[in-house]
Amino acid sequence: MLRLLCLLLCFAPACFAENREAMQGDFSHEECIACHQATEPQLVADWQQSAHASVEPLALCTSCHGRDHQGAAARSRGNDSCIDCHGGATSPVVHSYTTSKHGIIMQLEQAGYDWKLPLRQANYRAPGCAYCHMHDGNHLTAKAEPLKPAEADMDRITGSCLSCHSTRYINRLNDNAVDMIEIARMKVREARQLVDAYGDAQNTAAAAQLASLITQTEKHLRNVYLGAFHQSPDYQWWHGQPALDGDLLRIKGVIDNMQSGKSDVEK
Amino acid sequence: MRLAYIWITLLILGILIPAGFWYVDWSKSGDGAGLYSRDWLPEAVFAYWNPDDFYQSVETVVGKFEGEECVACHRDMSPGIVKDWQASRHAQAEPKVYCSACHGSDHQNLRLPTPDICATCHTTQHDQFMAEKRYGFPSHALAMERALDARHFVDKPKAEVTACLQCHSVATKCDSCHSRHKFSAAEARRPEACITCHSGPPHPDDETYFNSAHGQLYLQQGQDWDWSRPLQKGNYPAPTCAYCHMTAGQHQVADKSIWKFGIQQINPLSSGNVVKRQQWIELCSDCHEAEWSAQQLSALDRERKLAWSKLDEAEVLLKGLRADDLLSPTIHQRPPYPGDDAHTMLQRERIGFFEGQASAFYNVSPIERDYFDMWYFSNLGAYKGAAHGDASFVSKGHQAMDQQLEDIRQKVTDIRAAGKTRADKTDPENIWLQGEYTEYNREHN
Repeated sequence: MLRLLCLLLCFAPACFAENREAMQGDFSHEECIACHQATEPQLVADWQQSAHASVEPLALCTSCHGRDHQGAAARSRGNDSCIDCHGGATSPVVHSYTTSKHGIIMQLEQAGYDWKLPLRQANYRAPGCAYCHMHDGNHLTAKAEPLKPAEADMDRITGSCLSCHSTRYINRLNDNAVDMIEIARMKVREARQLVDAYGDAQNTAAAAQLASLITQTEKHLRNVYLGAFHQSPDYQWWHGQPALDGDLLRIKGVIDNMQSGKSDVEK
Repeated sequence: MRLAYIWITLLILGILIPAGFWYVDWSKSGDGAGLYSRDWLPEAVFAYWNPDDFYQSVETVVGKFEGEECVACHRDMSPGIVKDWQASRHAQAEPKVYCSACHGSDHQNLRLPTPDICATCHTTQHDQFMAEKRYGFPSHALAMERALDARHFVDKPKAEVTACLQCHSVATKCDSCHSRHKFSAAEARRPEACITCHSGPPHPDDETYFNSAHGQLYLQQGQDWDWSRPLQKGNYPAPTCAYCHMTAGQHQVADKSIWKFGIQQINPLSSGNVVKRQQWIELCSDCHEAEWSAQQLSALDRERKLAWSKLDEAEVLLKGLRADDLLSPTIHQRPPYPGDDAHTMLQRERIGFFEGQASAFYNVSPIERDYFDMWYFSNLGAYKGAAHGDASFVSKGHQAMDQQLEDIRQKVTDIRAAGKTRADKTDPENIWLQGEYTEYNREHN
């Protein structure tokens, strides 16, 4: 604590300097916090509440901004700050975005964007990860609760759509997404009910097959969710709904085999 | 006597032909769209992908606005689209092409621009685009009707099949490729412009192209190429999607299509296809010797022949099970084929392309679904790999097909060994017809 206080005192003049971009030098995460706690307490508090500050591995200031104060804000705004920790280019959460129109335009144009501009008011032709999830630099990242974004978070994210899209369009897309995900959930519930009703722990081979199919349904449900909110038709559909259909009917197939096995024995 | 034959025939035709036209008109006049429009209701969001059928203007703003008036208000309301427009050629032209030129000026009666609105100025591109229809499916210009008339689209809950229209709207809006409101030709020339739709298991065009020698060159150097130049010989060091499939910027993708997406077996040496082969060879001659290009096409034919020999074997095995009534669930124990109902006459399990199996995702038995995965995912992946020059996808696809075929053979043996006990068994609680989604689907389309 004493160390932090000392640090704060050391940097205090610089913290309050008018042109903060002009600050020079490399800083550690603790040093960033010490200074910004004084200059932007809300920002630090937001970060502390976010998943970035609580879920390992933590995303510290330096994880996204780097250590060099010069250009630290601009450096963090691009998708490169996010992708490595969020599973890399082929993870569904990233891939569903990069194949969307937003992701495509970003990929083609990002080299020409002025990354010094704040993440608001359509300062960027296509939204990157942070434009929606940390709109206007809000460090309380809009959390994606597993498959169920909180309403307040959804409002924040959809708010970021409105610089380019009409409210009616966004509302309709949202309503549609909610219904689409609910349909996917119906398939998962149907699958679970079948396994609960007919699963047989004694039959280890069948139980293993059913368990692996249930895992598949969860993966495919998540794909529908990612596809709907990242606007990827491919994740909504091929990685999502028909894949769930396949899981469901294969679960029924395993149960059908178990049942007919039983009736053979009975004979 | 002979005269009577003629009269009667003419009379019957005179009734049947108008009745046929009337029936098609009637079936298209429902609240949905397409041939089965009476069987489904649209989601509100469909308005944006099929504006002709479903778009209705907002009515909250009253008045007529034109030119700078729209811009003045929307600069605050929706700055993104104004910035886009300002960066577009529409805003550089003299006179400028303002919002109202495409959307109309009456704010209570705005249009969502469809290709025919763009055709007001872009006549050549629109004519080329529409002329694509003569090549049949698959095609951009016919994509919307393909989706609307697909049995599974009609059958499934509409919120589930939204993704279909997102991609198939390539027929109904030019901004699928020239994203709004910049409408950049340069953007549409880049391979990335295609991959929002041309990706995923049945059409991994993105992966197979980027893995190919052409794609590798693009990935390394593409950032520095001058994308304002037309897609012609000498302008690009490597071909992109549009360079080959939309030669010289011709707004058609179906004109040289031989294998038709790989979903069906065709004769690659039919007289029509021989002409198309010549067109491909000529296109490749921008960089390659004719002989070399011809060999590539033959290699693709051989790959396809091998793929279809595997698919045919699987299809024959499944049809054998069907003939012996060994598929479980039977046609009467499973949800009806999309568009059919329990009373449809002569129902039977649909197997393969010509019977329309591609519309059945869960109205099938597991072994039929195994065949679908083999046909639609492994086979099509191998096809795209072979056509785009990505050997890794060819071998991956064929290995998967071999595995799936072996699996199907084994299951067929098991089913035959078990005999008819299963199919004959009357299931008191038919799991195939029950369940939350299964029942919801039956009631909602």
